[in-house]
Amino acid sequence: MAEIKIAAKVRSEFGKGAARRARRDGLVPAVIYGHGEKPIHIALPAREVGIALKTSNVLLDIDLGSQVELTLPKSVVRDPLKGTLEHIDLILVRRGERVVVSVPVHTFGKYDQDGILEHVHNAIEVEVEATSIPSHLELDMEGLVAGDSLYASNVKLPEGVALISDPKMIVVHLSVRAAAEEVVAAPAAEGAAAAPAASGDAAGDAAAKS
Amino acid sequence: MLVPRKVKFRKPHHPSRSGASKGGTTVNFGDFGIQALAPAYVTNRQIEAARIAMTRYVKRGGKVWINIYPDIPLTKKPAETRMGSGKGSPEWWIANVKPGRVMFEISGVTEEIATQAMTRAMHKLPMKCRIVRREEA
Repeated sequence: MAEIKIAAKVRSEFGKGAARRARRDGLVPAVIYGHGEKPIHIALPAREVGIALKTSNVLLDIDLGSQVELTLPKSVVRDPLKGTLEHIDLILVRRGERVVVSVPVHTFGKYDQDGILEHVHNAIEVEVEATSIPSHLELDMEGLVAGDSLYASNVKLPEGVALISDPKMIVVHLSVRAAAEEVVAAPAAEGAAAAPAASGDAAGDAAAKS
Repeated sequence: MLVPRKVKFRKPHHPSRSGASKGGTTVNFGDFGIQALAPAYVTNRQIEAARIAMTRYVKRGGKVWINIYPDIPLTKKPAETRMGSGKGSPEWWIANVKPGRVMFEISGVTEEIATQAMTRAMHKLPMKCRIVRREEA
């Protein structure tokens, strides 16, 4: 994965007033920590960081003037409505160090179109060398039939990447469409009544979860 | 219709409508979602109408999640009643939605179908909304 070099300013004033002034000037307050070292409070250019963060697990070379720190974004706070960056936590990494990161899973291949594809987990946790984090992992769904699932163990891992998530964790599930045969066989009124009831149950479960 | 089985207080005060949503501001379960852009009380009838609008459009494909629950009763005094004589009777069940909240999510359909379905659902909701998509990890 490519490293992106960004020049940063060390922050000398703290608190919400200073943070808001920094944001008005097109900067994002951030902090660098890790490896038992003292945290460094910095301000990053919002536009450059925003573009860099479009890539998942991007390695950032933070130029502080006197030193350059290699970091990984750990936590990104955005305004829920405007989507602007509010604060970034960066974790220090060393070259050659193995880190645990969450990597997105991309799917490909033809699957049974009668089923409803559900991405249960969009990313899995892997352990990999900090400088060679894959941008995404691939999962082959060729020949997946309705009712079947693919697990974290089915994801194709490149060399040097070790799976940390539970190998039995479901990544993709192809659920069976609600009573396809019954709808065809039953009268129209019954079929119409059955469909909202089935989806209502699913919705009710989801609401209970949240 | 979504209604709680029981509540601790039958006639609570109106919940606060100020501020933005503290959580649930990203798409977590599906691929696309409907995000509130203004505060509003969403009734259980509106939630049901939005869900039906979406599920009818996607037919048997796709899966819909509802991330809000109408667990607060609102009261209303009968028409042409003099003030006093106690608080009115519970009339609606509402979810207190604040700006930023992702209320509905959908997956298992193409972007065009999801957009069409969610546009229909947004017409049933009492506030200005927008369609958001899941961010990559």
